[in-house]
Amino acid sequence: MIINGVEIRDNFAEAFPMVGTRLIVTADTPEWALTAGRTTTGFATSVIGCGCEAGIERMLAPEETPDGRPGVSLLIFAMDFGSLKKVVPLRLGQCVLTCPTTACYAGVEGGKRVPLAKTIRYFADGHQISKKIGDKRFWRLPVMEGEFVCDEDTGSVEGVGGGNFLILARSRAAALHAAEAAVAAMGKVEGVILPFPGGVVRSGSKVGSKYKGLFASTNDAYCPTLRGAVPSALPPEVASVLEIVIDGFSFEAVSEATKVGVAAVCAVGAEGGVVAVDAGNYGGNLGPFHFKLREIMKDSTGGEP
Amino acid sequence: MSGVSLKPRAPLEARVDLSGITPAVICPLTLRELEHLPVPHGGRSVPLAELFFIEGAPEGVLLIEIGDARLDGVGAGMSEGELIVDGRVGAWAGRGMAGGVLRIAGDAGDFLGAEMSGGRIELAGHAGARAGAAGSGSRRGLSGGVLKIGGTAGPRAAERQRGGLIVIAGDAGDGLATDMIAGTVSVGGAIGPLAGRGMKRGTILAQARPELPAGFVDTGVHELVALRLLARRVPELKDMLGGWTHARRIVGDTLMGGQGEVLMPG
Repeated sequence: MIINGVEIRDNFAEAFPMVGTRLIVTADTPEWALTAGRTTTGFATSVIGCGCEAGIERMLAPEETPDGRPGVSLLIFAMDFGSLKKVVPLRLGQCVLTCPTTACYAGVEGGKRVPLAKTIRYFADGHQISKKIGDKRFWRLPVMEGEFVCDEDTGSVEGVGGGNFLILARSRAAALHAAEAAVAAMGKVEGVILPFPGGVVRSGSKVGSKYKGLFASTNDAYCPTLRGAVPSALPPEVASVLEIVIDGFSFEAVSEATKVGVAAVCAVGAEGGVVAVDAGNYGGNLGPFHFKLREIMKDSTGGEP
Repeated sequence: MSGVSLKPRAPLEARVDLSGITPAVICPLTLRELEHLPVPHGGRSVPLAELFFIEGAPEGVLLIEIGDARLDGVGAGMSEGELIVDGRVGAWAGRGMAGGVLRIAGDAGDFLGAEMSGGRIELAGHAGARAGAAGSGSRRGLSGGVLKIGGTAGPRAAERQRGGLIVIAGDAGDGLATDMIAGTVSVGGAIGPLAGRGMKRGTILAQARPELPAGFVDTGVHELVALRLLARRVPELKDMLGGWTHARRIVGDTLMGGQGEVLMPG
C-alpha cells in the first residue's frame, strides 16, 4: 500500500494491556494548568524505567472543568492496578499539590478506585476538610497559597499500552517534521497519550539485550548507522527513523490515533522525505493487541493496494 | 397495584402516624390489603380505609391528596419511590429516610427529615423546629441526602447534622446547626442567634454574617476554589453560590475544639 508516495509496510504494532486513569487538573490560568500537567507527567515515558507512562491528553476550556477554570486532562498508565494505585498519589502529591493554584478532579467515573485525596489529605495535618454531597466526596487542604481542592478518588480503565508506528525518512529533519505533524494531528484524538518526549521516541527498542538484566535494547534493525552490520529492516535511502508510541483507554482509541498519525505522516509524503511507515512488534509474543497498519489505513483516502 | 393515592375522607380528628407507610411497602399491596392496613389514629389503631379513600396512582408513587397538620411521620423510613403530599404535613415527615423522594406542597411540622441518611425531601412551605436534626436523645442528625426547604425553618435546624445537605431558601431560626458534626447547610435568608454553637465540623453557607457564639474566629476573606466546585457540582447550591469566588470564613466553635466554618460572600 502506498499513500502519497509513502509505503505503508505490511506490518503490525504490538500492544499490551495496561491499567489507566484520567486526572483533571485545573488552575487559575491555562499556563499553570499546563505546568502542573507537564510536571505530573514528566519522567513517565516507559514503564520499563519510570513505573508508569503518562501524558497530557488535551487542554480543557473553563466550561469543561468541574470548577470552571482552565485545565488539562492527564492520562496515567501502569502495568497493573497495584502499581497505578502507588504512582498516582505520588505524582499528585509531588506535582499537583505543590503547583500554585491547582485543583485535581477525577476524570474517570467507573472501574476500580484510584486514591487521590484519600491519601494526600493527611498532608493537611488534621486541618483537611471533607465535603460529601451525593455520592461524591472531595477534600479541601489548606496550603500557604490558599486551598488545594481534590476529589477523594478517581476511577480506572483497562487500557492498551505500546501502540506504535515508525516513520522511515530520508533525513533526520524529514523524520522529525513528519513526526511533529503526526503528534499535532493525534493530539485531537480523545483517550490517548503519546508518553515520550514531545510524543516522539528516537530510541525504539527491541526485547532483550546481550547484557544480562536489561529488558530492552536499541532496535538495531532500524538503526541506520548499523545498516549492513546487522540484519537491517531499512531500505538504503532511509537515513533516520522516529517512533510514535501510543497508550490509550481502548483498542479503538489507539487504532484511531494510529490512523490519524499515519495519515499526517503520509500528508508530508515522499516529497517531504518520508519513505515508509512501519511498526514495532516482537513476533506477536509481547501482547494481545495487534494494530495492522494496512488494515487501519485501508479506508484512508489516496491509498493504493 | 402500581401506585397508591390516599384522600382523607374527612378532616382528621386525632393525630395519625403514617410512619412506615412508604411507596415500597404499600405499592405492592392489593386494594383489599391496603384497606385493612392498621394505622395509629389518636389512641387507637384503625384500618387505613377508615381514614382515606384509596385509589390508584402512577407506578411507584404514593400520593396523599389534601395534606393535614395532624399527619405525622409521612415518608418516615422511606427507602425508594416517590411520595407526594398535596398539602401540609405534621411532625417527623421523612424521619430516618434512606432513599427516594418526598415532595410536600405545604408546610411541615417539627423534625422534618430528622436523622435522614439518603434520598431527597422537597418542602415547598415552612418547616417547624429541628429540621434535619437528631431526634430527642439521639446523637446524629441528618447524615446524607438532600433536604430542601422552600420557606423558613424553625429553631435548631441542622442540629447535630453529620453529613448531606440542607438548603433553606428563607430564614433559619435560633440555634441553627447547633453541635453540627459535619455536612452543609445553606440559608438564603436571615439566620437567628447562636448559630453553630458547639459546631465540630461542617459548613454553614450564609448570605450575611449571623450572630455567632464567642467561640467563632474570623479568618478573613479568601478565594476558595471549593465554592466554584460546589456551585457547579451541586445543583441545589447553584443559585446561592453562583458568582461567589471569595468568601469570609469564620471558624468555630473553637471553645469546643471545633473546626466548622461559616462562609459568606467576601
